[in-house]
Amino acid sequence: MALTFQTVIGLEIHVQLATKSKLFCACSTDYIGARPNSNVCPVCLGQPGSLPVVNGRAVELAVMVGLALGSTVQQATRFHRKNYFYPDLSKDYQISQYDLPICAGGRLSFRDDDGVEVSVAITRAHLEEDAGKLVHPSADGRLAGARYSLVDYNRSGVPLLEIVSEPDITSPAHARRYTEEIRRLVRCLGVSDGDMESGSLRVDANISQKVSDGRWGSRVEIKNMNSLRSLERALEYEVKRQRKVLGEGGEIRQETRHWDDGEGKTRPMRGKEEAHDYRYFPDPDLPPLIVESDRLKGIAAVMPELPWQAESRLVSAYGLSDDDAKIFAESADTVAYLDGCIRAGADPKRAANWIRTEVLRVLNEQKIDLATFTLEASDLASLLALVDGGKLSTTAAKDVFDVMVRDGVALEPAMTASGVTAGLVEGSQLEDIADKILAENEEAVEAVRSGRDPKGKKVKFLQGLIMRETRGQADVAQVEDLLRRRLI
Amino acid sequence: MAVGEKEVRHVAQLARLEVDDGEVAALVEHFNTILGHFERLKEVDTSSVADVLDNAVVTPWRDDEVRIWENRDEALAQAPDRDGDYFRVPQILEEA
Amino acid sequence: MELFECSAADLARAVREGAHSVAEIVEVHLGRMDRLEPVLSAIVTPLKDEARARAAALDIALARGENPGPLTGVPVIVKDNFCTRRIRTTCSSRMLENWIPPYDATVVSYLERAGAVLIGKANMDEFAMGSSTEHSAFFTTSNPWDPSRVPGGSSGGSAASCAAGYAPLTFGSDTGGSIRQPAAFCGIYGFKPTYGMVSRYGVVPFASSLDQIGPFARTLEDLLLAMEVIAEADEKDATCSRALRPDFRKALDVTDLKGKRVGLVREFEGYDIDGPIVDALARARAALLDAGATVVDVSLPTVSHGLACYYIIAPAEASSNLARFDGVRYGLSAEADSLIDLYHRTRKAGFGPEVKRRLLTGTYVLSSGYYDAYYNKALKVVAILRDEFARAFGEADVILAPTTPTLPFRKGENIGDPIKMYMSDLFTLPANMAGLPALSLNGGYSDGLPVGIQLIGPRWGEMEIFSAAAVLEKALGAPRLAGGDL
Ligand SMILES: [Mg+2]
Ligand SMILES: [Zn+2]
Repeated sequence: MALTFQTVIGLEIHVQLATKSKLFCACSTDYIGARPNSNVCPVCLGQPGSLPVVNGRAVELAVMVGLALGSTVQQATRFHRKNYFYPDLSKDYQISQYDLPICAGGRLSFRDDDGVEVSVAITRAHLEEDAGKLVHPSADGRLAGARYSLVDYNRSGVPLLEIVSEPDITSPAHARRYTEEIRRLVRCLGVSDGDMESGSLRVDANISQKVSDGRWGSRVEIKNMNSLRSLERALEYEVKRQRKVLGEGGEIRQETRHWDDGEGKTRPMRGKEEAHDYRYFPDPDLPPLIVESDRLKGIAAVMPELPWQAESRLVSAYGLSDDDAKIFAESADTVAYLDGCIRAGADPKRAANWIRTEVLRVLNEQKIDLATFTLEASDLASLLALVDGGKLSTTAAKDVFDVMVRDGVALEPAMTASGVTAGLVEGSQLEDIADKILAENEEAVEAVRSGRDPKGKKVKFLQGLIMRETRGQADVAQVEDLLRRRLI
Repeated sequence: MAVGEKEVRHVAQLARLEVDDGEVAALVEHFNTILGHFERLKEVDTSSVADVLDNAVVTPWRDDEVRIWENRDEALAQAPDRDGDYFRVPQILEEA
Repeated sequence: MELFECSAADLARAVREGAHSVAEIVEVHLGRMDRLEPVLSAIVTPLKDEARARAAALDIALARGENPGPLTGVPVIVKDNFCTRRIRTTCSSRMLENWIPPYDATVVSYLERAGAVLIGKANMDEFAMGSSTEHSAFFTTSNPWDPSRVPGGSSGGSAASCAAGYAPLTFGSDTGGSIRQPAAFCGIYGFKPTYGMVSRYGVVPFASSLDQIGPFARTLEDLLLAMEVIAEADEKDATCSRALRPDFRKALDVTDLKGKRVGLVREFEGYDIDGPIVDALARARAALLDAGATVVDVSLPTVSHGLACYYIIAPAEASSNLARFDGVRYGLSAEADSLIDLYHRTRKAGFGPEVKRRLLTGTYVLSSGYYDAYYNKALKVVAILRDEFARAFGEADVILAPTTPTLPFRKGENIGDPIKMYMSDLFTLPANMAGLPALSLNGGYSDGLPVGIQLIGPRWGEMEIFSAAAVLEKALGAPRLAGGDL
């Protein structure tokens, strides 16, 4: 009988917390593009005698994630030292949490690409400090072959929250979705920018196979996946590799493998084979970390709406489609903008539609976010009110919208600038426009009058020109009526 | 538990502390003497001590404020090997 | 009376009143150092130019009518594990022989703020691991009462230099007795405050959960003056208390101990203690009774396990604290073609044999499979010992005990036998493990050698100790200046 396999994946996600200063010192966390070893002090440089002091904001951000994941936020926790020698570690130990993580347990649920509900248990989320950065000036920038390496401690001590899942994930696609959900969560909470490319969200995966004949493949750890796409590709590659080996009766080595995005392969990592003995022990420089219940309540009280909460509210309260709701819930800012429009009187569906198509288009084009977008939600609402009241056609409204955004002006001046007035173009104004169009298109007029337009194509053409000239602000029935009278 | 050469060498590797063949014998003896003293701790009944998390002192929470340290050049000046603003280390090879 | 015989309080007063310039005071103390240093070898780095420049600046400030602080013009010496910006800080190790810290320890800046003049950095056992200064990588300090003997350690240079009059106030760190044992051997006051009383920021650690910084002095008043300067909150040390400190010098007004209970530890009686120390304890006990105190027996059943716990916990923490000496960022760095060789060679060349022994022991007790049997077990035994102390301090206000089992031993006497050397910490290390304040004071002399005794107080019970010490100083006299016949 042919063997079947079951994939078992657990993820460890390191999220850089969006604090201004580092976890244990007052140096700036803003290391991207900074001069090497400029955001440093005795603490993060591991100078003898220096001591760590905890950044309370980092603790709060960790607690927010814990509350969102339904974790138990532990009142009394502590920091341990994880001891190993490496040059990016300025003290040759990392301050992390071990037996008492700040967040214990929890769960993250989401729908997969087929709409099926998936639920992943969270083991823990703990605070720890980031390491510095190594630069390998070898020909190809890799560790292998570099005669020496350079160390920059600007990143040393940046706060990380390591979120560890149970091995509940059953496919590479689900691993990707889980990571997307974590990213959406940390962004919505304002806890991290969640950017994988720049390394503020880093995923390590543990993957193994259970075989139908009762065998279990060893667990393999995969590192260096710098995007959602490479995460999914790396895991797909690894599923195939492990199944092939096991299918041929071979064994999977327990090891750490490195994903090579260019080659599309995972490879055993060099130099990491030594069995680690981290000699964890409680950091004697840091007394127990206590999150008092008042403090916890205070954090819970200011928790923003979570993406999945927003998603279901947008469906139930505003009648948005599941797809629309999901797009909005991607960012708390977009939800707030939509809420603002509706609060100012806009119709929910029309507002959602406009934000999706027009607002997000502009944000994309200008590469900005809603925080720097000039058009207030209430201004958009008053524009949409004109459309709803039949006073402005969609076409005219879009012109006005563009002017409002371009010039950063309110509704009235934008309408003046784009030559649009509220209400229908009718009566003599419409007649003047019609006459001007007919005069400019004598050929078509002649054809209609002489009965050479049996299918009414030319009439439609003229009608279209009139509508365009009025920026859609004419009533179609009136235009048809007027044309009929003029062309007899 | 008796400690032998193998354990001493393993611990020296963990501590990144090269020991000469000549030093190993003395260290084995020292280890066994001192660990012998430690054995007596087994006599103490510690079953009543649940957790050693001592809450008498708690860790203070620092405000999230950036402060720039002015002496970084003095710290870099102490680097045994440098390349501009970087500390420099010899090649990171596989370990034995 | 020569200026180097004066107390810090007297010197500060003389400066304030304009009787002596700071320059004059500093010059006299530098002269004393120059004269005795060939015999004592207490100082790793003398700071003559720096001290003279500082003295001149202080004299100018004083002439302008400024009063820089309570220690203005007082020469001080700190142990060479206190970081001093632009001044090398060696920990008496080859590893840091040429290291110039880019920052000051908090205690150093507090001293500077108070107007003190730093005139030197004192010798010590390498990275504070030892009880004799024989483990200094540079030289052994001599006992100023008998140069053939050790001054104790690890803060031996600080103790010897204070006793011999290089400076009226010197400072050290105490992990298992490293202030009190050398104070006893040199015949002066040496105080280890409650854990969390004084900031450890910038003092190169040995064992972070046990280390505490404290002063050496030849009068109780000076000791308390020093405490008022260094015992302050520090936001850079999470283990340093935010609470207000008492007005320590109030203890000087204490004349009787009516209603106070002095505890004697029953378990300490079984130990082999040198006769003169037993006699000194008896004299102290009589003086305390005379002052109206009562004497009670207290019991610390677990105290005999203290030594084992100490020699597990301290090396374990040290193995992690000293990992950073790897040749990358500062200090010694060996020639190497690969990173792993850099680590091994640097640490082999940089650390002396005692440090190596302890780092290896510490690594072993934390390593996989042994953590529970050793480190965790020791922490639990210490928790029991803390409870026993808490109970004892329900029955007594202060404990009277020996500082050391022996008088100062001869150089070389214990160097070949680490375990025997470790035994000299027997009576001092329980206070470190329980985080308690403890003072060593001089209890008399025997054949020209000082005899130390110890007072241990409850957590934050500094004033209990100082009150008893005030009575004892009145009854037994203040320590004498050492080095008179050198
Ligand atoms: Mg981690
Ligand atoms: Zn820093």
